Formats: sequence, structure tokens, C-alpha cells
Amino acid sequence: MASMFEKYGGFASVSRIVSTFYDRLLESPQLAGYFEGVDMRNLIDHQTKFIAQVMGGPASYTNEQLQRVHAPHRINQAAFEETAMVLQEALEDHGVEDEDVRAIMNQVAARSSYVVST
Amino acid sequence: MSAAEHAPAPDDDLPLDAETTRHLLAKLNLAIAVVRPGAWTVAYENAKFFQWFPGTGEDDETLASRVPGLPLDRLGERMERGRPFSFETEAKAGGRPVPVKLEFRPLVDGGPSDILVECASISKQKEAEYMLESYSKLAERNTRELQKEKDRVEKLLLNIMPKSVYEEMKDYGTTTPQRFEQATVLMLDFVDFTDMTVSRDPGPLIAELNDIFSAFDRIVEMFDCERIKTIGDAYMAVAGMPEANPDHAANIAKVALRMRRYLDRRNAALPEPWLCRIGINTGPLIGSIVGINKYVYDIFGPAVNLAARMEQLSEPRQITVCDDTYTLLKDDFMLIDRGEYEIKGFGTKRLYFLESEQG
Repeated sequence: MASMFEKYGGFASVSRIVSTFYDRLLESPQLAGYFEGVDMRNLIDHQTKFIAQVMGGPASYTNEQLQRVHAPHRINQAAFEETAMVLQEALEDHGVEDEDVRAIMNQVAARSSYVVST
Repeated sequence: MSAAEHAPAPDDDLPLDAETTRHLLAKLNLAIAVVRPGAWTVAYENAKFFQWFPGTGEDDETLASRVPGLPLDRLGERMERGRPFSFETEAKAGGRPVPVKLEFRPLVDGGPSDILVECASISKQKEAEYMLESYSKLAERNTRELQKEKDRVEKLLLNIMPKSVYEEMKDYGTTTPQRFEQATVLMLDFVDFTDMTVSRDPGPLIAELNDIFSAFDRIVEMFDCERIKTIGDAYMAVAGMPEANPDHAANIAKVALRMRRYLDRRNAALPEPWLCRIGINTGPLIGSIVGINKYVYDIFGPAVNLAARMEQLSEPRQITVCDDTYTLLKDDFMLIDRGEYEIKGFGTKRLYFLESEQG
């Protein structure tokens, strides 16, 4: 069975979704602060690979890696949930079917304990 | 008043009266509109928006009829919650389609309000995506082909050497000859094969030999033994190397019995009979790759030579072993004493026919 990654057109599509996602994150007063002084190119590159991974694509980040990169930012549950909602909206806006959106969001939610640290 | 008269002097602030604002909005390379939620009519649009999404000009024309495919349900639901929404589509510019992204957000934060629509061309982004996609497909295809070639080479190399030797070769580029203190060698050949090569059609003859050897390969693999090589109609296999195995003699004995049974069944079903002679011997030997460009994995030592003698002294459909192997097999297998034989280079040895497995 083809993965979601293939179904929605591979890396180029994921990159479009992630681009919308970050546009919105940076617009959000609640979240923009987390990205001050961050190299967005690098971050978007990783985020694209990560989303590709949860959609069944080729990348593979471990939970330990997630924990390591997020820990210094002291992310709280509310910020995590807002970010998840922005991601969900970006997925919906790019025509990802509801069922697949749910599957991706479950994957993301399952990793919350590695991202949230306060 | 014309717009030109409003061109500001460098020191002046731009007077943002309605005229100037309209002029600025008209000049934007971005399409902008304000939409009434619910009715979805366009309350304001700049020139670019009108150009990209030309309508019929009717008063009650809705956004949906100008932006085909726009999911109003989802948009409405998002706006009610005060969340942004975006939608990608194609606009028309001089008969040429332009990929664009429309972004919707409430004009006033929190609470019901008109909706601001911003729309920009994403053709550069699309081009970059297209390039990225075609490039990653190319890279994927190359990787796949490389992997296929690698698998093919690996399969070929595994035909001529044991896996552990192949791994060593792959990791270090070379292999060291190894001595194995206890291994059992099986040698098999066919009675009157030389005559068959003269009397029979070569095509079918070799096809049959190939079938038989392939069946032997499967049997050998089944009992964790290694096929070392075939020379003409001779077939050589070994157990107890390259990984030591305490059951080497028993495993080879089981292989030999199954080879014989395979040939018996084959001969019962097919017109041309193949009769094998098998010799088995146990002892120390050396395993190594020999050759540089045309290399093969081979085994050496008295145990190998004696196995060849056992085979020569064997009889059609018989499996011959001598003392050393007999000691290892006698508890679990039926063997028949053949008496003592003088063997060139090895002195006197007591030989046995391996008959069957016990129990």
C-alpha cells in the first residue's frame, strides 16, 4: 500500500505544507517568540523531513532526537497544542483528507512528551 | 486629481487619503479583496484580484463562482473560529494559468467580521517544487538501480563463497585463510557420466545435471552445510565451516541420504537414470579464497583428499565413510562394515556404507 507520503506527492508537497505551517507559526503572537534567532531554513528543512516521516516517507528521527532539540526551548503544553492546531489547519488547507489528517495528528500527539518540557 | 500629482517629495509623508490608498492597492502585485462572510459577496477588490478572478460583474456574484473549487464550508467554519485559511488554485493572467495561493483571515481579530483575502502568485515556488520533485525522483531511481546492481553482485559472490567470507571480503577487502579443526566433507560424482557425455544430447544432459545440482544446493542449504564447488559431474559440500558446528558429520550424513533419495525418486519418474557415488570424510581442513581476478573459495587438506578417495571407493547408490566419520555417526545412523582397505597415502582404513538414519 502506498504511504501518505507517496499519495500526496512526495517531498515537494510536504515542503509546501510545511511552508504554510511556518508562515502561520510566525504570525502567531503566542508562538512567534519561540523562533527568535532561529535559523528558519535549517528548521524548515528538518520539519519537512519530520512531517515526511510521519507520513511514511524516508526520513527517520528518533524520539530522543526530538527531545534533545526541543528541550532548550522550554515548550509548554499550550504552545504545543497551538502548534498542532496550526499544523492540522495547514494539512487541511493543502487537501490532505480528514482521515489522513487524523492519522498524522495522532502521530504528532504521541510525541508530545518529547517536545513539551515545562 | 491624478495619481501623479500625489507623488511625494522625499521629505514629505505620503498623504494616505482614499485616492492614494486606492492607487496603491491598484498597483500592488498582490490580489486583495474583502469578502462578506455568509453571503460570500466581494465587498472590495483591487485590480489584481479582478484580473486574476474576473467575474461576470453581477451584483450578487459570490466568491465561489469566481474562485472555482473554493471549499466555502471549511472556509466559513475556520473564519467563525477566527482562524486563518489558505487555498491554492490557478488564476488566469492573459490566457496563461498562474498558480496562486489565497489566504483568508478575519479583518478584525476576534468576533464576526469581513474577511480579508490576500492572493499571491506562487509560480516560482511551483517551479522550484517541480525541480525538487524531478530531481528527487532521479536520485531515487539511481539509488534503486544501484541497490539492484549491488544485490545482483552479492548474489553472484554468495554463489562462490560462504556468507561470512563474503562479509569479511566486503569489510576488509581481503580474506585470511582459516583452519578448521573438525569439518566433514562430502564428495559426489555420477557413475558413467563420461559415457553419458558421449552418448547423450548435450543440451538435455546438462539441463538435467543442472536440475540435480540445484536440488542438491537446496538440500545442502537446508542442513547448514556449504556447497564448495562442482567440477564437471562432481559435487563437493562441507559442514562445520566457516562456522564451527558440532553436528557437522551428522548434517553431512543427512545431506548424503537425502541426495540419494532425491535421485531414487527422480530415476523412478524419468527415463534416464543418474547413479551417484558418495564419499564422506571428517578431519581438519583449510578454507580460503584462491585466485585474484578469478577467485573461488576452496578447501584444502588431507580431509578433502580422503573424502575424494572415499568417493572413488564407493559403489553406485552408496555412501562410503571411514573410521573418523563412523565414530561420529554410529549412534544415530545405520552403517554397514565393508572391512579394511589399503588407501594410498593414508594407510589402512576401515570403511562403512552409510545406510540410513536411526529412529
